[in-house]
Amino acid sequence: MNELQERLAWRGISRRGFLKYCTMLASLMALPPAAGQAMAEALARARRPAVIWLPFQECTGCLESITRSHTPTIEGLIFDALSLDYSETLMAAAGHQAEQALKRAVEDNAGRFILVIDGSVPTGLNGAYSCIAGRSNLDLLREVAPKAAVVIAMGSCAAFGGIPAARPNPTGAVAISEIVRDKPLVNIPGCPPIPVVMTGVIAHYLTFGSLPELDRLRRPRAFYGETIHDRCYRRPFYDRGLFAKSFDDEGARQGWCLFELGCKGPVTYNACAHVKWNDHTSFPIESGHGCIGCSEPGFWDAGGFYRPLSAPAGPLKLAAGAVAAGAAVGVAVAIANRARKGAARAAHVTATVADLEKADGGER
Amino acid sequence: MGLEAIPVVVEPADLAAARAVLRELAVLVERLLATGEGGAIDLGVLPLTPAARAWLIDRLGRGEVEIRLTAGGQSTITETGCAGVWWVRHGNEAGVVTSELLEVAYVPGLVPVSRAEVENGLQRLNSGLDGLN
Repeated sequence: MNELQERLAWRGISRRGFLKYCTMLASLMALPPAAGQAMAEALARARRPAVIWLPFQECTGCLESITRSHTPTIEGLIFDALSLDYSETLMAAAGHQAEQALKRAVEDNAGRFILVIDGSVPTGLNGAYSCIAGRSNLDLLREVAPKAAVVIAMGSCAAFGGIPAARPNPTGAVAISEIVRDKPLVNIPGCPPIPVVMTGVIAHYLTFGSLPELDRLRRPRAFYGETIHDRCYRRPFYDRGLFAKSFDDEGARQGWCLFELGCKGPVTYNACAHVKWNDHTSFPIESGHGCIGCSEPGFWDAGGFYRPLSAPAGPLKLAAGAVAAGAAVGVAVAIANRARKGAARAAHVTATVADLEKADGGER
Repeated sequence: MGLEAIPVVVEPADLAAARAVLRELAVLVERLLATGEGGAIDLGVLPLTPAARAWLIDRLGRGEVEIRLTAGGQSTITETGCAGVWWVRHGNEAGVVTSELLEVAYVPGLVPVSRAEVENGLQRLNSGLDGLN
Protein backbone atom coordinates (compact mmCIF):
# COMPACT_ATOMS: atom_id res chain seq x y z
CA MET A 1 0.00 0.00 0.00
CA ASN A 2 1.41 3.41 -0.86
CA GLU A 3 1.17 6.55 1.24
CA LEU A 4 -2.00 7.82 -0.41
CA GLN A 5 -3.80 4.48 -0.17
CA GLU A 6 -2.93 4.26 3.50
CA ARG A 7 -4.30 7.73 4.12
CA LEU A 8 -7.41 6.98 2.11
CA ALA A 9 -8.01 3.74 4.00
CA TRP A 10 -7.52 5.56 7.28
CA ARG A 11 -10.28 7.98 6.28
CA GLY A 12 -12.54 5.14 5.18
CA ILE A 13 -12.11 5.78 1.43
CA SER A 14 -11.42 2.65 -0.59
CA ARG A 15 -9.28 2.32 -3.72
CA ARG A 16 -12.45 1.93 -5.75
CA GLY A 17 -13.98 5.00 -4.11
CA PHE A 18 -10.91 7.04 -5.02
CA LEU A 19 -10.84 5.73 -8.57
CA LYS A 20 -14.51 6.59 -8.87
CA TYR A 21 -13.78 10.13 -7.71
CA CYS A 22 -10.99 10.49 -10.28
CA THR A 23 -13.34 9.22 -13.00
CA MET A 24 -15.81 11.93 -12.03
CA LEU A 25 -13.01 14.50 -12.03
CA ALA A 26 -11.93 13.50 -15.54
CA SER A 27 -15.53 13.69 -16.71
CA LEU A 28 -15.97 17.19 -15.28
CA MET A 29 -12.80 18.32 -17.04
CA ALA A 30 -14.01 16.84 -20.33
CA LEU A 31 -11.00 14.51 -20.39
CA PRO A 32 -11.20 11.00 -21.84
CA PRO A 33 -12.48 8.42 -19.31
CA ALA A 34 -9.05 6.77 -19.21
CA ALA A 35 -7.68 9.99 -17.71
CA GLY A 36 -9.47 9.12 -14.46
CA GLN A 37 -7.24 6.07 -14.05
CA ALA A 38 -4.17 8.12 -14.99
CA MET A 39 -5.09 10.76 -12.42
CA ALA A 40 -5.58 8.16 -9.71
CA GLU A 41 -2.15 6.69 -10.49
CA ALA A 42 -0.46 10.10 -10.57
CA LEU A 43 -1.97 11.11 -7.25
CA ALA A 44 -0.98 7.78 -5.74
CA ARG A 45 2.71 8.16 -6.60
CA ALA A 46 4.98 7.92 -3.61
CA ARG A 47 6.47 11.38 -4.10
CA ARG A 48 3.85 13.78 -3.04
CA PRO A 49 3.60 17.27 -4.54
CA ALA A 50 4.36 20.24 -2.36
CA VAL A 51 1.65 22.83 -1.95
CA ILE A 52 2.21 26.08 -0.09
CA TRP A 53 -0.95 28.02 0.68
CA LEU A 54 -0.63 31.69 1.59
CA PRO A 55 -3.66 33.58 2.87
CA PHE A 56 -3.60 37.29 2.09
CA GLN A 57 -6.44 39.82 2.20
CA GLU A 58 -9.28 37.28 2.47
CA CYS A 59 -12.04 35.85 4.65
CA THR A 60 -10.96 32.15 4.69
CA GLY A 61 -14.14 31.18 2.85
CA CYS A 62 -12.11 29.64 0.00
CA LEU A 63 -10.26 27.32 2.37
CA GLU A 64 -13.50 26.49 4.16
CA SER A 65 -15.06 25.62 0.82
CA ILE A 66 -12.40 23.03 0.10
CA THR A 67 -11.83 21.52 3.50
CA ARG A 68 -15.39 21.44 4.78
CA SER A 69 -17.50 20.86 1.70
CA HIS A 70 -18.86 17.51 2.85
CA THR A 71 -17.74 14.42 4.74
CA PRO A 72 -15.62 12.57 3.94
CA THR A 73 -14.18 15.06 1.54
CA ILE A 74 -11.69 13.74 -0.97
CA GLU A 75 -10.99 17.31 -2.05
CA GLY A 76 -10.03 18.13 1.50
CA LEU A 77 -8.03 14.93 1.79
CA ILE A 78 -6.02 15.60 -1.35
CA PHE A 79 -5.17 18.98 0.04
CA ASP A 80 -4.85 18.51 3.72
CA ALA A 81 -3.31 15.08 3.98
CA LEU A 82 -1.59 14.61 0.66
CA SER A 83 -0.21 17.90 -0.48
CA LEU A 84 -0.26 20.73 1.96
CA ASP A 85 3.17 21.70 3.25
CA TYR A 86 2.30 25.10 4.61
CA SER A 87 -0.97 26.76 5.47
CA GLU A 88 -1.13 29.24 8.30
CA THR A 89 -4.82 28.52 8.81
CA LEU A 90 -4.61 24.73 8.99
CA MET A 91 -1.19 24.06 10.44
CA ALA A 92 -0.67 23.50 14.15
CA ALA A 93 2.53 25.55 14.30
CA ALA A 94 2.38 29.25 15.06
CA GLY A 95 4.70 32.23 15.43
CA HIS A 96 8.39 31.65 14.73
CA GLN A 97 7.77 27.91 14.20
CA ALA A 98 5.34 28.72 11.39
CA GLU A 99 7.77 31.15 9.79
CA GLN A 100 10.49 28.50 9.89
CA ALA A 101 8.10 25.99 8.30
CA LEU A 102 7.43 28.36 5.42
CA LYS A 103 11.12 29.03 4.86
CA ARG A 104 11.90 25.31 4.92
CA ALA A 105 9.01 24.41 2.62
CA VAL A 106 10.09 27.01 0.07
CA GLU A 107 13.79 26.08 0.21
CA ASP A 108 13.24 22.31 0.14
CA ASN A 109 10.89 22.52 -2.84
CA ALA A 110 12.33 25.48 -4.73
CA GLY A 111 11.17 25.44 -8.35
CA ARG A 112 8.80 22.52 -7.75
CA PHE A 113 6.02 23.61 -5.42
CA ILE A 114 2.51 24.75 -6.24
CA LEU A 115 1.82 28.13 -4.68
CA VAL A 116 -1.83 28.69 -3.82
CA ILE A 117 -2.90 32.14 -2.70
CA ASP A 118 -6.30 33.21 -1.50
CA GLY A 119 -7.01 36.87 -1.04
CA SER A 120 -5.94 39.99 -2.86
CA VAL A 121 -2.73 41.92 -2.30
CA PRO A 122 -3.08 45.37 -0.75
CA THR A 123 -0.56 47.74 -2.29
CA GLY A 124 -1.55 50.95 -0.47
CA LEU A 125 0.97 52.28 2.11
CA ASN A 126 3.52 49.96 0.55
CA GLY A 127 1.44 46.89 1.49
CA ALA A 128 1.05 47.76 5.19
CA TYR A 129 -2.69 46.97 5.23
CA SER A 130 -2.10 43.21 5.45
CA CYS A 131 0.97 41.79 7.14
CA ILE A 132 2.01 38.39 8.48
CA ALA A 133 4.78 38.26 11.08
CA GLY A 134 5.59 41.89 10.38
CA ARG A 135 5.96 41.39 6.63
CA SER A 136 3.53 42.67 4.06
CA ASN A 137 1.72 40.27 1.73
CA LEU A 138 3.34 42.18 -1.10
CA ASP A 139 6.88 41.44 0.15
CA LEU A 140 6.06 37.81 0.86
CA LEU A 141 4.58 37.28 -2.60
CA ARG A 142 7.56 38.90 -4.28
CA GLU A 143 9.87 36.57 -2.37
CA VAL A 144 7.99 33.27 -2.65
CA ALA A 145 6.36 33.40 -6.10
CA PRO A 146 9.61 33.37 -8.15
CA LYS A 147 10.52 30.04 -6.50
CA ALA A 148 7.18 28.34 -7.31
CA ALA A 149 6.53 26.05 -10.28
CA VAL A 150 3.00 27.34 -10.77
CA VAL A 151 0.81 29.84 -9.00
CA ILE A 152 -2.89 29.30 -8.34
CA ALA A 153 -4.93 32.38 -7.47
CA MET A 154 -7.73 30.88 -5.42
CA GLY A 155 -11.04 32.71 -5.22
CA SER A 156 -12.23 35.97 -6.72
CA CYS A 157 -10.12 38.16 -4.42
CA ALA A 158 -6.87 36.53 -5.56
CA ALA A 159 -8.02 36.20 -9.17
CA PHE A 160 -9.50 39.66 -9.73
CA GLY A 161 -9.18 41.68 -6.52
CA GLY A 162 -12.69 40.71 -5.34
CA ILE A 163 -14.40 42.51 -2.49
CA PRO A 164 -11.23 44.19 -1.11
CA ALA A 165 -10.74 45.83 -4.51
CA ALA A 166 -14.38 46.96 -4.74
CA ARG A 167 -14.92 50.71 -4.92
CA PRO A 168 -13.45 52.74 -3.28
CA ASN A 169 -10.73 50.12 -2.74
CA PRO A 170 -9.23 51.82 0.32
CA THR A 171 -6.24 49.45 0.58
CA GLY A 172 -5.24 49.54 -3.08
CA ALA A 173 -6.03 45.81 -3.39
CA VAL A 174 -4.97 44.10 -6.62
CA ALA A 175 -5.15 40.60 -8.10
CA ILE A 176 -2.19 38.21 -7.83
CA SER A 177 -1.66 38.46 -11.58
CA GLU A 178 -0.88 42.17 -11.14
CA ILE A 179 2.18 41.25 -9.10
CA VAL A 180 3.18 37.83 -10.46
CA ARG A 181 3.81 38.24 -14.16
CA ASP A 182 6.46 35.71 -15.06
CA LYS A 183 5.04 32.41 -13.76
CA PRO A 184 2.40 30.01 -15.07
CA LEU A 185 -0.69 31.28 -13.26
CA VAL A 186 -4.22 29.96 -13.11
CA ASN A 187 -7.18 31.86 -11.71
CA ILE A 188 -9.88 29.91 -9.90
CA PRO A 189 -12.45 32.61 -9.16
CA GLY A 190 -15.64 32.25 -7.17
CA CYS A 191 -16.75 33.53 -3.81
CA PRO A 192 -15.91 30.85 -2.83
CA PRO A 193 -14.74 28.62 -5.70
CA ILE A 194 -16.16 25.13 -6.21
CA PRO A 195 -13.93 22.63 -4.36
CA VAL A 196 -13.66 20.13 -7.20
CA VAL A 197 -12.27 22.82 -9.52
CA MET A 198 -9.29 23.20 -7.24
CA THR A 199 -8.56 19.47 -7.03
CA GLY A 200 -9.21 19.17 -10.77
CA VAL A 201 -6.48 21.72 -11.54
CA ILE A 202 -4.00 20.10 -9.14
CA ALA A 203 -4.80 16.58 -10.41
CA HIS A 204 -4.34 17.78 -14.00
CA TYR A 205 -0.99 19.34 -13.18
CA LEU A 206 0.23 16.21 -11.41
CA THR A 207 -1.00 13.87 -14.12
CA PHE A 208 0.03 15.73 -17.26
CA GLY A 209 2.71 18.07 -15.90
CA SER A 210 0.89 21.13 -17.18
CA LEU A 211 -1.99 23.39 -16.32
CA PRO A 212 -5.31 22.69 -18.03
CA GLU A 213 -6.39 24.85 -20.94
CA LEU A 214 -7.23 28.35 -19.75
CA ASP A 215 -9.56 31.07 -21.04
CA ARG A 216 -8.62 34.72 -21.59
CA LEU A 217 -8.99 35.41 -17.87
CA ARG A 218 -6.71 32.42 -17.09
CA ARG A 219 -9.58 30.31 -15.77
CA PRO A 220 -9.63 26.55 -16.54
CA ARG A 221 -11.83 26.30 -19.60
CA ALA A 222 -13.20 22.91 -18.52
CA PHE A 223 -14.96 24.56 -15.59
CA TYR A 224 -15.42 28.13 -16.82
CA GLY A 225 -16.13 27.43 -20.49
CA GLU A 226 -19.87 27.97 -20.26
CA THR A 227 -22.09 30.45 -18.52
CA ILE A 228 -24.39 29.54 -15.64
CA HIS A 229 -27.22 30.44 -18.01
CA ASP A 230 -26.01 27.93 -20.64
CA ARG A 231 -26.45 25.02 -18.23
CA CYS A 232 -29.27 26.38 -16.05
CA TYR A 233 -32.27 24.12 -15.57
CA ARG A 234 -34.49 27.26 -15.69
CA ARG A 235 -33.21 28.12 -19.17
CA PRO A 236 -36.33 26.80 -20.96
CA PHE A 237 -38.39 29.41 -19.08
CA TYR A 238 -36.05 32.16 -20.29
CA ASP A 239 -36.42 30.90 -23.83
CA ARG A 240 -40.20 31.01 -23.48
CA GLY A 241 -40.14 34.49 -21.91
CA LEU A 242 -41.44 33.33 -18.51
CA PHE A 243 -39.86 35.37 -15.73
CA ALA A 244 -40.48 35.59 -11.98
CA LYS A 245 -41.25 39.23 -11.10
CA SER A 246 -40.69 38.89 -7.35
CA PHE A 247 -39.26 36.23 -5.05
CA ASP A 248 -42.69 35.10 -3.86
CA ASP A 249 -44.93 35.41 -6.90
CA GLU A 250 -46.50 32.56 -8.81
CA GLY A 251 -43.68 32.59 -11.36
CA ALA A 252 -41.09 32.11 -8.61
CA ARG A 253 -43.13 29.23 -7.21
CA GLN A 254 -43.28 27.67 -10.67
CA GLY A 255 -39.49 27.88 -11.02
CA TRP A 256 -39.46 30.48 -13.79
CA CYS A 257 -36.33 32.31 -14.88
CA LEU A 258 -34.85 34.79 -12.35
CA PHE A 259 -33.38 37.13 -14.98
CA GLU A 260 -35.68 40.04 -14.04
CA LEU A 261 -34.76 39.59 -10.37
CA GLY A 262 -31.14 40.35 -11.17
CA CYS A 263 -29.71 36.91 -12.04
CA LYS A 264 -26.22 37.35 -13.55
CA GLY A 265 -26.19 33.81 -14.97
CA PRO A 266 -26.07 34.96 -18.61
CA VAL A 267 -22.73 36.75 -18.13
CA THR A 268 -21.14 34.52 -15.50
CA TYR A 269 -18.77 31.75 -16.46
CA ASN A 270 -18.67 29.03 -13.84
CA ALA A 271 -19.60 25.38 -13.29
CA CYS A 272 -22.20 25.80 -10.51
CA ALA A 273 -25.14 24.78 -12.70
CA HIS A 274 -23.74 21.35 -13.54
CA VAL A 275 -21.12 20.59 -10.86
CA LYS A 276 -23.31 22.08 -8.12
CA TRP A 277 -22.55 22.56 -4.44
CA ASN A 278 -22.70 20.58 -1.22
CA ASP A 279 -21.96 17.17 -2.65
CA HIS A 280 -23.75 17.91 -5.94
CA THR A 281 -26.94 18.85 -4.10
CA SER A 282 -27.91 22.14 -5.72
CA PHE A 283 -26.73 25.62 -6.65
CA PRO A 284 -28.06 29.10 -5.74
CA ILE A 285 -30.61 29.30 -8.57
CA GLU A 286 -32.09 25.98 -7.44
CA SER A 287 -32.54 27.58 -4.01
CA GLY A 288 -34.54 30.39 -5.60
CA HIS A 289 -31.91 33.14 -5.78
CA GLY A 290 -30.32 34.50 -8.92
CA CYS A 291 -26.62 34.10 -9.64
CA ILE A 292 -24.64 37.07 -8.27
CA GLY A 293 -21.82 36.59 -10.78
CA CYS A 294 -19.14 36.02 -8.14
CA SER A 295 -16.63 34.43 -10.52
CA GLU A 296 -16.48 37.47 -12.82
CA PRO A 297 -14.11 40.43 -12.42
CA GLY A 298 -15.64 43.34 -10.49
CA PHE A 299 -18.78 41.45 -9.51
CA TRP A 300 -19.21 43.54 -6.36
CA ASP A 301 -19.41 46.76 -8.37
CA ALA A 302 -21.60 45.38 -11.14
CA GLY A 303 -24.59 47.54 -10.29
CA GLY A 304 -26.47 45.57 -7.62
CA PHE A 305 -27.39 41.91 -7.18
CA TYR A 306 -31.09 42.54 -7.80
CA ARG A 307 -30.79 44.83 -10.79
CA PRO A 308 -31.59 43.03 -14.03
CA LEU A 309 -28.73 42.88 -16.51
CA SER A 310 -30.78 44.84 -19.02
CA ALA A 311 -31.38 47.73 -16.55
CA PRO A 312 -29.00 50.71 -16.46
CA ALA A 313 -26.21 50.28 -13.91
CA GLY A 314 -25.82 54.05 -13.26
CA PRO A 315 -27.75 56.05 -10.63
CA LEU A 316 -31.51 56.11 -11.27
CA LYS A 317 -32.92 59.36 -12.62
CA LEU A 318 -35.97 60.29 -10.54
CA ALA A 319 -38.64 62.85 -11.34
CA ALA A 320 -38.41 66.19 -9.48
CA GLY A 321 -41.57 65.40 -7.46
CA ALA A 322 -40.16 62.09 -6.32
CA VAL A 323 -36.90 63.75 -5.31
CA ALA A 324 -38.78 66.38 -3.25
CA ALA A 325 -40.94 63.70 -1.62
CA GLY A 326 -37.86 61.60 -0.87
CA ALA A 327 -36.10 64.60 0.70
CA ALA A 328 -39.14 65.32 2.91
CA VAL A 329 -39.26 61.69 4.07
CA GLY A 330 -35.50 61.77 4.72
CA VAL A 331 -35.82 64.88 6.93
CA ALA A 332 -38.71 63.32 8.90
CA VAL A 333 -36.74 60.09 9.45
CA ALA A 334 -33.68 62.04 10.58
CA ILE A 335 -35.74 64.04 13.13
CA ALA A 336 -37.35 60.83 14.47
CA ASN A 337 -33.95 59.14 14.74
CA ARG A 338 -32.47 62.12 16.57
CA ALA A 339 -35.36 62.07 19.07
CA ARG A 340 -34.92 58.32 19.60
CA LYS A 341 -31.18 58.74 20.16
CA GLY A 342 -31.80 61.56 22.66
CA ALA A 343 -34.28 59.42 24.63
CA ALA A 344 -31.85 56.48 24.70
CA ARG A 345 -29.05 58.73 25.93
CA ALA A 346 -31.29 60.13 28.70
CA ALA A 347 -32.36 56.66 29.81
CA HIS A 348 -28.81 55.29 29.80
CA VAL A 349 -27.36 54.42 33.19
CA THR A 350 -23.63 53.71 33.28
CA ALA A 351 -22.51 50.68 35.25
CA THR A 352 -19.21 50.30 37.08
CA VAL A 353 -17.27 47.10 37.78
CA ALA A 354 -18.40 47.36 41.41
CA ASP A 355 -22.05 47.45 40.28
CA LEU A 356 -21.53 44.31 38.22
CA GLU A 357 -19.84 42.48 41.09
CA LYS A 358 -22.69 43.52 43.38
CA ALA A 359 -25.25 42.18 40.91
CA ASP A 360 -23.29 38.95 40.53
CA GLY A 361 -23.10 38.50 44.29
CA GLY A 362 -26.79 39.22 44.70
CA GLU A 363 -27.70 36.31 42.47
CA ARG A 364 -25.83 33.75 44.49
CA MET B 1 -49.55 21.81 -51.12
CA GLY B 2 -47.95 22.39 -47.73
CA LEU B 3 -44.31 22.00 -46.73
CA GLU B 4 -45.17 18.74 -44.98
CA ALA B 5 -45.76 17.17 -48.38
CA ILE B 6 -42.11 17.56 -49.36
CA PRO B 7 -40.52 14.12 -48.77
CA VAL B 8 -37.49 15.16 -46.73
CA VAL B 9 -36.76 13.32 -43.52
CA VAL B 10 -34.49 15.21 -41.12
CA GLU B 11 -32.93 13.12 -38.41
CA PRO B 12 -33.19 14.91 -35.05
CA ALA B 13 -29.81 16.17 -33.88
CA ASP B 14 -30.10 14.37 -30.55
CA LEU B 15 -30.60 11.01 -32.27
CA ALA B 16 -27.54 11.68 -34.40
CA ALA B 17 -25.47 11.93 -31.22
CA ALA B 18 -26.91 8.64 -29.95
CA ARG B 19 -26.12 6.95 -33.27
CA ALA B 20 -22.55 8.24 -33.02
CA VAL B 21 -22.27 6.64 -29.58
CA LEU B 22 -23.34 3.29 -31.04
CA ARG B 23 -20.76 3.57 -33.81
CA GLU B 24 -17.99 4.41 -31.36
CA LEU B 25 -19.04 1.50 -29.15
CA ALA B 26 -18.76 -0.83 -32.14
CA VAL B 27 -15.19 0.38 -32.76
CA LEU B 28 -14.28 -0.12 -29.09
CA VAL B 29 -15.76 -3.64 -29.04
CA GLU B 30 -13.81 -4.53 -32.20
CA ARG B 31 -10.65 -3.28 -30.49
CA LEU B 32 -11.46 -5.31 -27.37
CA LEU B 33 -11.75 -8.45 -29.48
CA ALA B 34 -8.58 -7.71 -31.43
CA THR B 35 -6.25 -6.51 -28.66
CA GLY B 36 -7.98 -7.15 -25.34
CA GLU B 37 -8.03 -3.39 -24.68
CA GLY B 38 -11.43 -1.78 -24.36
CA GLY B 39 -12.32 1.82 -23.56
CA ALA B 40 -15.13 4.00 -22.35
CA ILE B 41 -17.45 6.76 -23.52
CA ASP B 42 -18.28 9.47 -21.01
CA LEU B 43 -21.99 10.18 -21.28
CA GLY B 44 -21.71 13.15 -18.93
CA VAL B 45 -20.14 15.33 -21.58
CA LEU B 46 -22.43 14.33 -24.44
CA PRO B 47 -25.47 16.43 -25.31
CA LEU B 48 -27.94 13.55 -25.09
CA THR B 49 -31.57 14.49 -24.61
CA PRO B 50 -33.87 12.20 -22.62
CA ALA B 51 -35.29 10.94 -25.93
CA ALA B 52 -31.83 10.10 -27.28
CA ARG B 53 -30.90 8.41 -24.02
CA ALA B 54 -34.06 6.31 -24.13
CA TRP B 55 -33.27 5.35 -27.72
CA LEU B 56 -29.74 4.35 -26.74
CA ILE B 57 -30.95 2.26 -23.79
CA ASP B 58 -33.43 0.55 -26.07
CA ARG B 59 -30.85 -0.22 -28.74
CA LEU B 60 -28.28 -1.56 -26.29
CA GLY B 61 -30.77 -3.73 -24.44
CA ARG B 62 -30.26 -5.38 -21.08
CA GLY B 63 -27.85 -8.20 -20.21
CA GLU B 64 -27.77 -10.66 -17.34
CA VAL B 65 -25.38 -9.03 -14.90
CA GLU B 66 -25.91 -6.12 -12.57
CA ILE B 67 -23.22 -5.10 -10.11
CA ARG B 68 -23.79 -2.77 -7.20
CA LEU B 69 -20.74 -1.04 -5.82
CA THR B 70 -20.76 0.78 -2.49
CA ALA B 71 -17.74 3.06 -2.37
CA GLY B 72 -18.24 6.77 -1.73
CA GLY B 73 -21.92 6.32 -2.62
CA GLN B 74 -23.78 3.77 -4.71
CA SER B 75 -22.66 2.84 -8.22
CA THR B 76 -24.42 0.45 -10.53
CA ILE B 77 -22.70 -1.38 -13.36
CA THR B 78 -25.21 -2.98 -15.69
CA GLU B 79 -24.41 -5.34 -18.52
CA THR B 80 -26.13 -4.28 -21.71
CA GLY B 81 -27.58 -6.69 -24.26
CA CYS B 82 -24.33 -6.23 -26.21
CA ALA B 83 -21.87 -8.39 -24.28
CA GLY B 84 -18.76 -6.45 -23.37
CA VAL B 85 -20.61 -3.13 -23.11
CA TRP B 86 -21.42 -2.00 -19.57
CA TRP B 87 -23.56 0.94 -18.50
CA VAL B 88 -21.83 2.47 -15.46
CA ARG B 89 -23.57 4.98 -13.20
CA HIS B 90 -21.65 6.49 -10.29
CA GLY B 91 -23.62 8.10 -7.50
CA ASN B 92 -22.40 10.03 -4.47
CA GLU B 93 -23.45 9.62 -0.87
CA ALA B 94 -26.44 11.88 -1.41
CA GLY B 95 -27.67 9.53 -4.14
CA VAL B 96 -26.94 12.00 -6.96
CA VAL B 97 -25.43 10.58 -10.17
CA THR B 98 -22.00 12.22 -10.52
CA SER B 99 -20.78 10.48 -13.65
CA GLU B 100 -22.10 8.05 -16.19
CA LEU B 101 -20.18 6.07 -18.78
CA LEU B 102 -20.41 3.24 -21.21
CA GLU B 103 -17.46 0.97 -20.58
CA VAL B 104 -16.23 -1.63 -23.03
CA ALA B 105 -14.41 -4.45 -21.23
CA TYR B 106 -14.65 -8.13 -20.42
CA VAL B 107 -14.89 -7.11 -16.75
CA PRO B 108 -15.47 -3.47 -15.75
CA GLY B 109 -12.29 -1.84 -14.44
CA LEU B 110 -13.60 -1.07 -10.97
CA VAL B 111 -14.68 -4.62 -10.21
CA PRO B 112 -11.50 -6.73 -9.86
CA VAL B 113 -9.64 -6.54 -6.57
CA SER B 114 -6.01 -5.52 -6.47
CA ARG B 115 -3.17 -7.78 -5.33
CA ALA B 116 -2.63 -5.61 -2.23
CA GLU B 117 -6.26 -6.01 -1.27
CA VAL B 118 -6.06 -9.80 -1.65
CA GLU B 119 -2.94 -9.83 0.54
CA ASN B 120 -4.80 -7.82 3.17
CA GLY B 121 -7.70 -10.25 2.92
CA LEU B 122 -5.35 -13.17 3.48
CA GLN B 123 -3.92 -11.49 6.57
CA ARG B 124 -7.40 -11.02 7.91
CA LEU B 125 -8.28 -14.66 7.24
CA ASN B 126 -5.12 -15.82 8.93
CA SER B 127 -5.71 -13.64 11.98
CA GLY B 128 -9.22 -15.11 12.21
CA LEU B 129 -7.79 -18.63 12.03
CA ASP B 130 -5.18 -17.80 14.69
CA GLY B 131 -7.99 -17.07 17.08
CA LEU B 132 -9.40 -20.56 16.50
CA ASN B 133 -6.11 -22.42 17.19
